[in-house]
Amino acid sequence: MNNLLTQIAFCIEKGKADLNSPYPPVLKGENGASELTKEAIDSGISADQILKQGLMPGMNRIGERFSKGEAFIPDLLMSARAMNAAMEHLQPHFDSGDIQHRGTLILGTVAGDLHEIGKNVVRMVLEGDGWKVLDLGVDVTVERFSETLRDNPDSIIGMSALLTTTMGTMEQSVNQIKQQSPQTQIYVGGAPLTQEFSDKIGADGFFPDPHSFAKHLAAQT
Amino acid sequence: MPQSSREIVTRCLKFDCPERIPRDLWLLPWAEIHEPETVRLLRKEFSSDFATSDYFYPPSKRVKGDPYKAGQFTDEWGCVFRNIQDGIIGEVRDPIIKDISDWKSVTPPYEQLPESTSAAYDKIKRFYDSTDKFVMSNCCPRPWERYQFLRGTESALMDVMIPDEGFKDLIGAIHDFYLKEMEFWAKSEVDALLFMDDWGSQNQLLIHPDIWREQFKPLYREYCDLAHAEGKFVFMHSDGYITDIFEDLIEIGVDAINSQLFCMDIAELGRRFKGRITFWGEIDRQHVLPSPDPEVGRKAVHQVIRHLYDPSGGLIAQFEFGPGAKPDTALAVTREWLSQGYGIDADGTD
Repeated sequence: MNNLLTQIAFCIEKGKADLNSPYPPVLKGENGASELTKEAIDSGISADQILKQGLMPGMNRIGERFSKGEAFIPDLLMSARAMNAAMEHLQPHFDSGDIQHRGTLILGTVAGDLHEIGKNVVRMVLEGDGWKVLDLGVDVTVERFSETLRDNPDSIIGMSALLTTTMGTMEQSVNQIKQQSPQTQIYVGGAPLTQEFSDKIGADGFFPDPHSFAKHLAAQT
Repeated sequence: MPQSSREIVTRCLKFDCPERIPRDLWLLPWAEIHEPETVRLLRKEFSSDFATSDYFYPPSKRVKGDPYKAGQFTDEWGCVFRNIQDGIIGEVRDPIIKDISDWKSVTPPYEQLPESTSAAYDKIKRFYDSTDKFVMSNCCPRPWERYQFLRGTESALMDVMIPDEGFKDLIGAIHDFYLKEMEFWAKSEVDALLFMDDWGSQNQLLIHPDIWREQFKPLYREYCDLAHAEGKFVFMHSDGYITDIFEDLIEIGVDAINSQLFCMDIAELGRRFKGRITFWGEIDRQHVLPSPDPEVGRKAVHQVIRHLYDPSGGLIAQFEFGPGAKPDTALAVTREWLSQGYGIDADGTD
């Protein structure tokens, strides 16, 4: 693999966003994902190659370590920050159609629930894996999920809940969307949830960490 | 002569053979609003051995609203919470420290602490003398949670990775305030001081254990030292999977820990830590108490007893009746604790 791409992947895995970023301390004063991505584009490497051989391997590696318990949420957040810094240079290529997203994920925390750290981590990991994520935020009503699905009919949906009281809301939301659009895949996540609950409410799956979710989706595309 | 609640809890903490397992029941305002009859029964049947001192700081001018009402609430640090459900606390949606370099703009609420402590101590002593229950301080330092309220959770989790860029300054300012609070309460007539911070996600620590040890363990050690110097016990609450820091909590002197036992391997906790720290509950709030099947609650009590009970002490029968909990299951849990609370043989089956 091109050395620049290897370095981009390394910076993303380690959370080195740009030259000025003090994190990680061992890379202080060195170029980060932002500068290296720009350099890669300037040297003629295609945006698609940068995404698939630079950004995605970096996020995959940190996600893998997280799912094994070897990395922690702050590590993921630092990697996501580095990925966003790189993504700024790739965005025009997404806009122009040079590179395509794997697909679109509509994401939100269900109505009655204001928690979002878990949802945000899922967003970051999936964006790093090439997905376009429409993050609807927290306290999202089923109507908002449905409206967004109407505007983006081929999307899949990710719903999050942290409170046991909002698991009921999640069930209603899944039922309503499945009635309107049976083919739409809906995945659920959140601390109190289980695969058993996902099966019970008719969702298409539960994933205990963002990386296993990303792997599942990647296998389907 | 039967032991008083205070004696039972004290003996439990000292592993000095209390006559029964101490009891503690947590009731969120949600429970009073939505399940008043269950609350009445729980209080009647499961009388707590604990009381919280009735001394409150003077009201802060910064506080606006009610933390347990839907709407907006501003706390004594100026953090603004949004709440969409009566009976539970809300979430900070717009942290006041957007840039960590602005950490100096935080003003801890020192104005709340009593200028003259003698009147406050008199009131605290009157309460203490009026009850035979085990009395907890009415303060709860939470440096990490406060940091998140001020910075937002995501920023806080990233700040901790680059501690020299402002994190140490802000957490230091927070900690200094909490030390003052702890000093005040440590010299008062209470049995124990309490602090908290949620350190676990569902299956791991929120941050790397080494970073926790470097940045947070010293703060908690200071709270413990301060309390112990005045002869007070130390209680801590921390949600999530925290097995990796149990050993540290024992080392710094936490006497009792309230944690989400069911996020962890209870048998492992028993094997490694039973007899070295008191398990202050709990019964699972995510699956057990929300279960409509009371038998699930009874089995959970048996599981805790089987792995964590010892006749010398170290176990408090505690649980929280809050959002999502089913009344019949909560009552089954209390009745199981009551039926098992005396002279347990620890071979209870799961």
